[in-house]
Amino acid sequence: MSGHKFIGKSVVRVDGKAKLTGAAAFVDDLEFGPGLLHAVIIESPHAYAKIKKIDFAKALGVEGVVKVVTGKEFPYRFGLYMHDRYVFAQDHVRFVGEQVAAVIARTPAVAKEAARLVKVEYEVLKPVLDVETALEEDARLIHPELGNYHHVPWFFPKKDTNIAHLRKVRKGDAEQGFREADHVFDDTYMVPRYAHCSIETHGAIGLFDHSRRLTVWAASQSPHTQRHLFAEALAPLGLKHKDVRVIAPSVGGGFGGKAGVSMEILAAALATTVQGSPVKVHWTREQEFYNTYQRQGVVAKMRVGVKNDGTITALEQKLYWDAGAYVEYGANVVNAAGLSASGPYRIPNVHIDSVCVYTNLPPGGPYRGFGYSEFLFGLESHFNEVAKKLGIDPVEFRRKNAICTGDVLNYGGKMNPSGLLECIDKVAREIDWGKRRVSDDPRKAIGKGFALFWKAPAMPPNASSTAFLKFNEDGSLNILVSAMEIGQGFLTVMAQIAAEVLSVPPEKIRVETPDTDRNPYEWQTVASHITWGTGNAVKKAAIDAREQIFDIVSSALGQPRESLYLDDEQVRSRSDAGFGLPLRDFVINGIMMKDGTFRGGPIIGRGMFMPEFASALSDPETSQGGKPNVHYTVGASAIEIEVDRETGRITIPKVVLGVDCGKVLNPDLLKGQVTGGMVQGLATVLYEDMRFDGKGRLLNPNFTDYKIPTALDTPEEIVSIFVEHEQPDGPFGARGVGEHTMIPAAPIIANAIEDALGIRIRSMPITAEKIALAIRDS
Amino acid sequence: MPITHSFDYQKPGTLREALALLARKNAVALAGGTDLIGYLKEELVSPELLVDLKGLKELKRIEHRGGALHIGALVTFAEVIDSKVIGKKLPVLAEISKKVASVGIRNRATLVGNLCSAVPCLDTGPILVAMDALVLVKGKKGSRKIPAEKWFIAPRKTARKPGELVTGISIPLPRGKAAACYLKLGRYRGEDLAQASVFVSIEQSSRGAKARNFRVAFGSVGPVPCRARKIEKALAAGGALIDMVALTKLVPAEISPISDIRASKEYRLHMCQVMLERALAAADGRLNGTGPAYGASLL
Amino acid sequence: MGDGDRVKKTIRFVLNGEKRAVDVAPQETLLETLRERLGVKSPKCGCDRGDCGTCTVMIDGRSVRSCLVLGVEVDGAVVTTLEGIMENGELSPLQQAFLDRNSFQCGFCAPGMIMSATELLARNEKPTREEVQEGLAGNLCRCTGYSPIIDAVLETAGVVSKGGSDERS
Repeated sequence: MSGHKFIGKSVVRVDGKAKLTGAAAFVDDLEFGPGLLHAVIIESPHAYAKIKKIDFAKALGVEGVVKVVTGKEFPYRFGLYMHDRYVFAQDHVRFVGEQVAAVIARTPAVAKEAARLVKVEYEVLKPVLDVETALEEDARLIHPELGNYHHVPWFFPKKDTNIAHLRKVRKGDAEQGFREADHVFDDTYMVPRYAHCSIETHGAIGLFDHSRRLTVWAASQSPHTQRHLFAEALAPLGLKHKDVRVIAPSVGGGFGGKAGVSMEILAAALATTVQGSPVKVHWTREQEFYNTYQRQGVVAKMRVGVKNDGTITALEQKLYWDAGAYVEYGANVVNAAGLSASGPYRIPNVHIDSVCVYTNLPPGGPYRGFGYSEFLFGLESHFNEVAKKLGIDPVEFRRKNAICTGDVLNYGGKMNPSGLLECIDKVAREIDWGKRRVSDDPRKAIGKGFALFWKAPAMPPNASSTAFLKFNEDGSLNILVSAMEIGQGFLTVMAQIAAEVLSVPPEKIRVETPDTDRNPYEWQTVASHITWGTGNAVKKAAIDAREQIFDIVSSALGQPRESLYLDDEQVRSRSDAGFGLPLRDFVINGIMMKDGTFRGGPIIGRGMFMPEFASALSDPETSQGGKPNVHYTVGASAIEIEVDRETGRITIPKVVLGVDCGKVLNPDLLKGQVTGGMVQGLATVLYEDMRFDGKGRLLNPNFTDYKIPTALDTPEEIVSIFVEHEQPDGPFGARGVGEHTMIPAAPIIANAIEDALGIRIRSMPITAEKIALAIRDS
Repeated sequence: MPITHSFDYQKPGTLREALALLARKNAVALAGGTDLIGYLKEELVSPELLVDLKGLKELKRIEHRGGALHIGALVTFAEVIDSKVIGKKLPVLAEISKKVASVGIRNRATLVGNLCSAVPCLDTGPILVAMDALVLVKGKKGSRKIPAEKWFIAPRKTARKPGELVTGISIPLPRGKAAACYLKLGRYRGEDLAQASVFVSIEQSSRGAKARNFRVAFGSVGPVPCRARKIEKALAAGGALIDMVALTKLVPAEISPISDIRASKEYRLHMCQVMLERALAAADGRLNGTGPAYGASLL
Repeated sequence: MGDGDRVKKTIRFVLNGEKRAVDVAPQETLLETLRERLGVKSPKCGCDRGDCGTCTVMIDGRSVRSCLVLGVEVDGAVVTTLEGIMENGELSPLQQAFLDRNSFQCGFCAPGMIMSATELLARNEKPTREEVQEGLAGNLCRCTGYSPIIDAVLETAGVVSKGGSDERS
């Protein structure tokens, strides 16, 4: 198993030096010369309104203004999984902040001043600001044309309603399961919207040059998908994919928010209106809050049937998602959550309705966890309550019902190998489960909380990764991929994988962010699937290169092919100890024969990985028969908290997260995901609090009032436990972990609070104020 | 987003020059800039002239003189924290300063700038009002000394007249042994604007260790800092005994919190009661040498 | 910067050890002067209101939020950005510790964070963990959860033992 030279080591990040010295260039750092134009967006002040007139004559008259653009120039719908979205609002605006027009000018200041002069006349309509209102019989339809929208075959919109998609899961017979139960417990949990808060805001520059070739530089998680969406959305202009190029520089955090296409469409579209000049659209922090994807809110109504001994006989979940004004991406969150909202448990009878509801609020979209954090808050809180009512230890309850390898999943597939029980045991031991500490401060209560978690990548069944690998004269090599480095460290791990196969150390391997013209296809950097998918592609490319190397060496030099191996950047032979040919001698130049001719030539490796066993086709009424998820990553997490009964404030002496990652490829980077993800997760439950007013306007679009943790707000100790039950089709056995580390945060806190205070809080965030007032009122 | 409003910028070398420039229409003083630059970006102010005071070295002084602490208008929160004089004579002022924003802001932001902002959540409000500090103001017509309680008129409104410049503050120091505590409610341990705050000072009266003077003020729970005279009176009457049950009942009459996106008025009221108790205990402990160090986290 | 119609002032200051003279408009922030006029890109614009710390640079040895300072204000001052932290192109010991510990992820907060950490260590040679947390509290990071950054600062101060990438697993 071990005996790896580079795999499993905390190799120093290949992009570390660039980021520490200021060399790393982010999209706002790129220079485009004095010809760069700047766009300022005119936004809707209303959550729902008809656009009656846009008067921009005055703005156009301002010196330095080059163009004013409205929705009239781009009457096309686009979107990732469903075409329900526009470049600029057409007849209606559907959320406060939606883009209505743009002023393009020579300087940002002129653009800003001119934008003020654009007058938009609206007929204000009564907005639909919550799921309940959206689902009423006579609710106003936010998308009356829903029935005509293109969408992927696994979505089921309900036309003439505000239901953009309904995912139904029917496994077994829930009614029968409830009848068999000794007890049935109901409850409802609420999770509001959240913001990604990448420290770098969105930004993009588009250039439609005079050869009519479109280039977009974007802080993006998905350059190829963006290229595809730009080409689709702008197809009426005659653009072909080969004429669209997306270049991604360093990205300052994504967390899902920079996936798909949100504001980047503006750079692409606006560029076509000012042919020959690059135009920059850069989001302020306020726009980052209200006009990029948000994590959707959800109301979860659940019913659980259990036997006296704790066995779960049935689970019914109704998930109502506040998905926002456009759901072209967000509907897949609803879908993915719907398929997996049972959590990692063996439950014979499962009935899930996951309902994607349009509202006049910002569009929901991908956010680390993709719906799993949202449903897990309710599920793991509820299971704790159920265990308590039965008088069973919460960890024991979970052990008893934990899903095992080969168990039937909610949609009929089989659970992949997983170390869930090992995670449960190790985490319980690390948090000292069963022992209760008492604080010497009488004002403080101490409690512990536990939760399981899982997630599978939510992707189309044909999501693919490809890689090129090319050697250089000195034996170093370049790997060309289109997955995106958003902080997780995947560039480094790709170097480690290639290093292991080719015996070239990672310091001699360059992997960088892509240019879709030069780098081969990658679907998107989301879903925690890059280590697995791109890792497989890179490994194949490295093996491809290695095979070419062995072919050339054996044919040119007569060495028996089966004896060849690579070590320390040389080709060696098991049957000839004296043989050692440095890679750099021939990987570009080939091998010279005795007669002065050459064999071989530059070595180029190529690899492609696309799963051939996944399928989104299933029974629309039951979800049975599909194989939508390639595999699940599972784990367990626990926390110990101290609550100040007077202030409601929580301090965290310890949090533990155990996850089955298949194979630890780089311990530092993996720990980085645990620490970073857990802190982000704790922030959603303890501090982050999005507030909208009665008219749908976001009241706290800034860090002053939407609080994300500082260096002072971290737990005292975060312990990572990595369990390795190999993923059979993963590179060196690895599977993804990036999102999972934040998923259990909210329920472990809620469960620890219940343990400490005997109070069950069923809505997030669980702020100090909520706790203090709940204690006071109890 | 750039500041689109155009203005001129001058940096005078003497106080006299500064006052002459500030007498001009639409002239605004610039010290640390951490509030003003923000206001310019949000287009809350549109001055024609910015007068940079940072050339006026005489406004940088921290002095203990005549039984009072004199702090010049250009003294930053970082300098308050580093000041040996303040550490010795009024350590609670350093405790307050440490709770303002973060290091990078404190390196520029000034105490006087803070009290000029007069935002309801300001951190310097409670101590100045409780300690009967004076705000020293100079104009073309001469100087004034404005008691802190008269300085704060309404949210973002002070007693400063156009053309006047605040040159500093003076805080009368207790004659005898004294200790104090400032507690600030934030949503977490990181940088936050106060949702409620309490300042408490206990001075041993010259009449002996048993008799004590109390000064109490609340911040961010009213349009201006609230001097809590009913509570002070009850404390003085109580002597060595602090009856928290009775004092807690007095809090609602001393403050008028609102509900906003940062906190509800119920929580603000509740926390004022909690913080009052803890601040009194801390100040009491500090007075007899058993209390927590200044700057310790008590919430 | 394309603002030829604005009245400018000439400022003279030292930037990363070099004497500079540049004409700035009064309403431009130091952040804009550095990034747009002088091509110094390490300080970032994360929020433009002093909440996030990505714009942090040093003026006369003290960390400041350059988005809340006007360019004109640094006339006569010494300004240092991340580019000026290195000597002869070599990483400072603090940067080396960050590198060895893989402290940063996306790297967007790194320039501001490193400026704050550099100031912290210059003023406090042996900080406690709490003091490091305090010193960095004005620099937001969404990726790392802060502990690998704090650990590297403490290691540089000699407070925790050196943990090179090979030894730790």
